[in-house]
Amino acid sequence: MTKKKKVQWFWMWVIGSVTLRLILVYFPRNLNLSSRPEVSTPLTSLRRLAEGYWLKRSSMSPYAGSMYHGSPLLLALLGPLTVTRIEGQPDQLLCSLVFVIADVISATLIRAAGRSLQAAYSSSLKVLGLHQLSETSEVLPSGDFAALVYLWNPFTIIACVGLSTSAIENLVVVLSLYGACKRLASLAAFGWVLATHLSFYPSILIIPVILLLGYGPDAPPRKLFQRRIKLEVGNSSSIGSDHLKEELKDQSSMLKVFAWRLVVHFLIWILLWSSYVLVLCGIYLQKHGGLQELYRRTYGFILTIPDLSPNIGVLWYFFAEVFDFFRSFFLMVFHGNILLMIMPLALRLNHRPCFLAFVYIMISSLLKSYPSVGDSALYLGLLGLFSYELKDIRFSFLLFAGYVGVSLLSPVMHNLWIWRGTGNANFYYATAIAYALFQVALVIECVNCMLNHDRMVTKLTTTKLKDAKS
Amino acid sequence: MAEAKTHNNSNKPRPRILIYLAIQIITHSTIVSVICFIAGIVALLLLPVLAKNTYISENALMPGSATNMLSSHDVAEANKLVKDLTDLKLRSNGSPIESRKLIAQYMLGLDAEVTYHNFYPQLNQFHPLHFFTSPDSSIISKNISCASIGINTVGIIRAPRGDGKEAIVLVTPYNPKKVVLGEALSLGVAYSVFSLLSRVTWLAKDIIWLVADSQYGEYSSVSAWLREYQAPQFHRVVVNSETCNESSTIEGNLYSGFRRAGTIAAALVVKIAEDGNHFDDSLNIYAEASNGQMPNLDLINIVNYLAVHKQHLRIKVSKMWSLLGSKWLNTLGVFWECIGQYARRLNPQWKFGIPANEYVEGTATLASSMYYQGLGVPTGPHGAFRDYQVDAITVEISPKVSPTKMNRHIDFIFRGGRLIEGVVRSINNLLEKFHQSFFLYLLTSPSKFVSVGVYMIPFALLGAPLPIVAASLYMFSSKATPQAPVASEVDFSLESWKWINSAKKVFVIHLWGVAVSLLPYFLCRIPGLTPTNNLTVWGSFAVLSLVILFSMLGYPTSVAVPSEAEKREWANLKSVTLSAIFIGLSLMSVINFATAEIGALLIVPFCLMARPLMLDIQARSMRTLLLATCNLALGFIAFPPCAFLLLKSAFDSSGGYNISDYWNWMESLWAWNSATYLYIGIVHLPCWALCIHILFHPS
Repeated sequence: MTKKKKVQWFWMWVIGSVTLRLILVYFPRNLNLSSRPEVSTPLTSLRRLAEGYWLKRSSMSPYAGSMYHGSPLLLALLGPLTVTRIEGQPDQLLCSLVFVIADVISATLIRAAGRSLQAAYSSSLKVLGLHQLSETSEVLPSGDFAALVYLWNPFTIIACVGLSTSAIENLVVVLSLYGACKRLASLAAFGWVLATHLSFYPSILIIPVILLLGYGPDAPPRKLFQRRIKLEVGNSSSIGSDHLKEELKDQSSMLKVFAWRLVVHFLIWILLWSSYVLVLCGIYLQKHGGLQELYRRTYGFILTIPDLSPNIGVLWYFFAEVFDFFRSFFLMVFHGNILLMIMPLALRLNHRPCFLAFVYIMISSLLKSYPSVGDSALYLGLLGLFSYELKDIRFSFLLFAGYVGVSLLSPVMHNLWIWRGTGNANFYYATAIAYALFQVALVIECVNCMLNHDRMVTKLTTTKLKDAKS
Repeated sequence: MAEAKTHNNSNKPRPRILIYLAIQIITHSTIVSVICFIAGIVALLLLPVLAKNTYISENALMPGSATNMLSSHDVAEANKLVKDLTDLKLRSNGSPIESRKLIAQYMLGLDAEVTYHNFYPQLNQFHPLHFFTSPDSSIISKNISCASIGINTVGIIRAPRGDGKEAIVLVTPYNPKKVVLGEALSLGVAYSVFSLLSRVTWLAKDIIWLVADSQYGEYSSVSAWLREYQAPQFHRVVVNSETCNESSTIEGNLYSGFRRAGTIAAALVVKIAEDGNHFDDSLNIYAEASNGQMPNLDLINIVNYLAVHKQHLRIKVSKMWSLLGSKWLNTLGVFWECIGQYARRLNPQWKFGIPANEYVEGTATLASSMYYQGLGVPTGPHGAFRDYQVDAITVEISPKVSPTKMNRHIDFIFRGGRLIEGVVRSINNLLEKFHQSFFLYLLTSPSKFVSVGVYMIPFALLGAPLPIVAASLYMFSSKATPQAPVASEVDFSLESWKWINSAKKVFVIHLWGVAVSLLPYFLCRIPGLTPTNNLTVWGSFAVLSLVILFSMLGYPTSVAVPSEAEKREWANLKSVTLSAIFIGLSLMSVINFATAEIGALLIVPFCLMARPLMLDIQARSMRTLLLATCNLALGFIAFPPCAFLLLKSAFDSSGGYNISDYWNWMESLWAWNSATYLYIGIVHLPCWALCIHILFHPS
């Protein structure tokens, strides 16, 4: 009964958020969001995309003049929409509609993924014998919750109304995670290939996606299952029921086995999809330097950070200040920073691949070369997926107030620096640092809380096992 | 090792020193906040003592290093212009075209490039988002009739040594329909300088002389010209040319387009006061632009330096006159003086303390400086320049006797002209934009200032208790909740997310604040409402919607016996409210510091003290009753209309105030796009409402 009610409300909320977006879309001039540095980075700005499309139409390379740095596919998809105008309507109405639809699809995908995650988690808790825990884990509809957080997050709304292509980038990331949760190798591969193609950083998501496909969705640590099964096998052998024994053996084999076949499928699909995407891009850019140009202008642009216009990240200021001969060294350091964290996290959190993906997304959006609020929108939405596990997170209010404060202060500081001239770049950069600090605090608290949750589950199962033994 | 381990295990792990300190501060939040608040007020009162002498920070300026070149010929010509203008008034009864022609002719006589700039005065409109957007060129009022055209006369001298990339602007507001002698004299002063500058060889920046048509206000004409200069508009409003043939009658040899010089380095608005001050020739400086922005301090410094040291003018900035006579301020000044003397006796190196009368004057100036910055309304046409990052001030020369009774205009023009010449020459030396000196400062006298580093201290001290008390209340509310019985293996309580409910409430009330502050926008569309009516409609809407909101949010009166958790709810709510006001105040301190400071003085004590009256009444001790009355009084003071009327009655001795003044005041705030209006509507009012809600919370 309660569940049904929840669902009803859910669609009401979705419709509400769409209405809000549509209302805001009708005031593009007053809000002027698409020119804000928080929303449109060189990679996600629709104005740059329109420029690239114009260049392409006048049979030049869309990458000429260092204006556009996105994917040719996006150009082919959104480009025609940037030039179609409807009389009496805002200029970029069709593009905005595409972004609104993308947001809604992402939200529904998050919801579906969340539901399957929750079901899997509660059943795995049941396998461990923690029935009460499994019941409480179902109280909070984390999928619905995450979807609504994603839709109603002001960051998402601003990114959507501000005509930033991050809505689509987020959509393909979510698509990949959804495919992996539902164990659809082709869909996961499709999402991953597109996400990597569009914004490069999601390429590190290959690890969590493989883990998701191999081991299945998030569950308590695997050794607990092994212990449990060992015990039950022992018990059942003492009891001597052959039927039960076999069932348990099946279960144990299922838990132990890494689904190699699915992963191989996934890798084959990746090959197929990426070659498909590359062929398409190659055809599109045939006369303009081909794939080499594509790599140089998109991945090269992301990795070497030549555009130092201010954004909410921490790198622009640093690379504006650093001496030129140290530049390549620090480029390696900063990108290495992300890579450095991949392995330890993968080892520690390999039983929770979805959460691992969340942590990766968060770290990459923190250390990205051109971050925007759209990236924060994605990880804050995914955060809702773990609302049960993270319910005891510390400093939640402090983090919330910090996010609110920084996101209000940042435009004011920008105004002080750019329009009034009474402040300087340090003012704005200070808010960027504060924002980064809050992000770091959030990711640390999340991981900490998740590990605590694991400890709690471990403790409960071991006591249970002891009880069972004695 | 093992021993140490067991020892550690047996005891509770000792918290780290930082965390220990934080916990200590939070647990003693009452004392800490009282100390911080008092220290904040003391620091605020100390500001005039801590003010530093101004100094010219940019070396390139070199004010007064060259001898004045203004010759008697220039002045005689200028005097002739003044005479011609006044004669014109007598002869043709002040036809605006004639006087405009006359000025243009004089300008042409100096080989200047002269153009007319037609503009349509804009009605002041409410743009709530104006602060966050760039200066907008696309706002234009819809119905333009020809009668409402204003015409600025602009003369430009090209610098012989410059590359035409930079310019200095002289502005003289002038109403051609009603010529008064003061304005004519200011034209004369500007003309004398202009005439000199057309000959000199050292000029490196172009000079623009803007005779601003002030029949629709000085500000709107200057801002219209600046808008055209900085952000030209390509789709012009077509005005019916038949009815507007007035502008086409202007002689044909003038260039009809809009002429530009380079980037504007600085601007000076020159005015002559209409009535004499009976003391001495003096100079008033007005510097406040919109939202408390100030021009670079160096600009004020050079004017101050030249006026005092070269032209021997008394220089003045505005003061709160009512503070000058106040006894308690004088006592305080004497007290600081005593402390200063004592300090000097201890160590002659300590330069602390100023004479009492100087302290009183400094405080009055500081209060006025803070008031005008906090108001966020520009104090003159110079305010329009600041929107384009151009430093500008208004200098108003106020002669000893009224210009009409002045027998020798020549001397006066000579003096004024030399001052302006010196300032222009000094700015002409600039190699870069003004950037060296301060932008964020408060003046305590024309030659003393308090910089941002100092005046932030009182505000920081006032604001510091907010997060501390919020944290302590948060801890209190989460600690006090009765632990769920540990019978079950897991207690499913969202312990860490309890603030969500309060945050929801605070958010809704802030939305209410947004709605309330947008309402006047619609009210003004209804014609024929008096200020009192408007205010009544506004107030009743606000109260009604607030009541409805509270009933929707579940005002806890319906609960007969509040449970333990509900009792603690107010603490949680207060902690969220405090965080909200903290964020709001820190935001406002970046946008407009003075507003935040005044706002903090009003709202912080109330926010900190607010606690349910029921608690105090139930306790029935002397202390709690005192607390309750204190709360009620503070709540009364913090209510914006009350605060406005109280402050008005305290500082404005003219008397005769009624409630409709509040509407007029608010109207002026939003008409000037002041961020103060948004602060009152979106930060102050909702937080006040929430605190009142806490005050009447049943627990």
